[in-house]
Amino acid sequence: MPPSREFIVERQEQRIFLRAPEVGTFTCVVEEGAVLTPGSRAGVLHRLDVAFELIVPAGVTGRIVSIPPERVHAPVEYGAALYELAPLATTVSDSQQKESAVKTRSALALRAPYSGRFWHRPAPEDPAYVQIGDVLEPGRTVGLIEVMKTFTHLSYEAHGALPQKARIVKLLADDGDEVDEGDPLIEVENV
Amino acid sequence: MFSGRLSVSMFRRLLVANRGEVAVRIARAARELGCTPIGVASTADRGSDWTRAFDEMVCVGPAPPAESYLKAERLVQAALQTRSSALHPGWGFLAEDRRFAQLCRQHGIAFIGPPAGVMALLGAKSPAKRAMRAGGLEVVPGSDGPLRDVEAALLCAEASDYPVLLKADYGGGGRGMRLAANEAELREVFQAAQAEARSAFGSDSVYLERYVTAGRHIEVQLLVDGFGQAVHLGERECSVQRTHQKLIEESPSPALSDDERAALGKRAVQAALSVGYENAGTMEFLRTPEGKFYFMEVNARLQVEHPVTEMVSGIDIVHKQIEISAGRPLGLRQEDVRLQGHSIECRINAEDPEANFRPAPGRIETFDIPTDRGPGRVRIDTHMTAGETIPPNYDSLIAKVIVHADFRESAIETMQNTLAAAQIEGVPTTVPLHLAVLSCEAFRSGNYDTGSIPGWSS
Repeated sequence: MPPSREFIVERQEQRIFLRAPEVGTFTCVVEEGAVLTPGSRAGVLHRLDVAFELIVPAGVTGRIVSIPPERVHAPVEYGAALYELAPLATTVSDSQQKESAVKTRSALALRAPYSGRFWHRPAPEDPAYVQIGDVLEPGRTVGLIEVMKTFTHLSYEAHGALPQKARIVKLLADDGDEVDEGDPLIEVENV
Repeated sequence: MFSGRLSVSMFRRLLVANRGEVAVRIARAARELGCTPIGVASTADRGSDWTRAFDEMVCVGPAPPAESYLKAERLVQAALQTRSSALHPGWGFLAEDRRFAQLCRQHGIAFIGPPAGVMALLGAKSPAKRAMRAGGLEVVPGSDGPLRDVEAALLCAEASDYPVLLKADYGGGGRGMRLAANEAELREVFQAAQAEARSAFGSDSVYLERYVTAGRHIEVQLLVDGFGQAVHLGERECSVQRTHQKLIEESPSPALSDDERAALGKRAVQAALSVGYENAGTMEFLRTPEGKFYFMEVNARLQVEHPVTEMVSGIDIVHKQIEISAGRPLGLRQEDVRLQGHSIECRINAEDPEANFRPAPGRIETFDIPTDRGPGRVRIDTHMTAGETIPPNYDSLIAKVIVHADFRESAIETMQNTLAAAQIEGVPTTVPLHLAVLSCEAFRSGNYDTGSIPGWSS
């Protein structure tokens, strides 16, 4: 196991800043637009002879809107801002707004907030997060979206036409399917 | 003879691994020598006025020293990534940590201080005493090295005479000391001293020495270059102390004759050379009322009270430290050192003398110490300005007022005039204490010792 350190997290209104927990040279390994979730490895910080992997701590999820201008071995001080994240809720509601414009032509469905690979379960041997017939309430995890080896929990939110309580009618995307932003993933009905 | 390490080029960038007053002091010296000072700060010090003394700052961690100014790896990394080729540790924090010195050198950074091996020898008190005795100095009667158990302590105390002082081998700054006036007391405090040493310094190694009453703390400033050339810059008298913390220092000591000074300095130089000392250092002695000098310890670093020596010698000690580390020869023989006049330093701490010297962090509203009050010259070493906040995480020193005059009386008068006109508001300070000491008969006559603060009863 390589040594690791969690980012220092600072929240400013809607933005989340991930800051350097050490003095050293930082190498960025993710792109702008990537989604970071708890446990994501999002860079390497060299301090003398040690390379620390930088880990996103619990409770932090967001899409990277800003990365350091220097991407390889950039000298950083303790507390330097390395990534700026926008919470996923905003990006999701953006796509939800798009979705509500077209909702008349489809049944109620949970859609992919962005492109990636959709997973039903946290690990191959684990049970799926949801099954047909489950009743969803806001906050319930329905699957994962993987972007560049970064996994993001996708949870049910009563946005747009989606009701407070919904029953799963059909799983539209299979486990491991490539999905595009706005693709329907799970068909639901009002309870 | 050419030793192969003759390099006269100066460091281009120098990192100061410290904060506050000493950081500012070293930054000034570096700039005067043409090297760019790079600073470090904790998050508590970020944006403080003193950080403007530096061309670049690196934040090294949060406010607690253990997570910032004591993080050796971060400080060395900060030096590397700012392309600093030298590091000055200042005093306190990691200044006498040989592993820190080693780490710097492993990464190609010149550590401004003695070689790590010498630091290791002098860092533990018992080996240091043994080495200095071998180097020709007298040491306080006591145990030869750490004590195994209370029985060994009792035997040793019997031989060296009560009262005795138990001290932590790795201690310093007056911490980890226990006094015992007789056998019963020694039995009582031995374990407590061991426990205290373990918790404060990570080793329960304690040693014992006779407690010298009415002794004076006299220390010799040394400069040794990498070519074995060494001089002393006379002594400092530091007997005005409170719980082993120095409050007022002066040079020369009113207790020493010129002959004693020359003899003490010579012996100190020889002892330093005998252990391969290099760079600036201070050898501390305890002078008994009978005029004996017992070696106490070597401070292998710059000291807080170094300015009084600079004032009387006209030699910038920090310049010399940097030049020695850069491989330059000292360029001084003992006969070139001329000590002139008298200098006194008062440490102004943000402490309340009326409340048992309770540290008083807070915001400084007014900060004005005049430098034109005469009859002598005044130098203020400080990192403070009005409007600055003293963080609660570090020591309480806010300024050092240093005066220099032809005679001791005129130096005292200069200090009195300066402190009486000083305006520091927002936090209580030790100024009233200094004024009381400066005006009392015991101090003015020069007849005082470390036992109590002259002119002050708390």
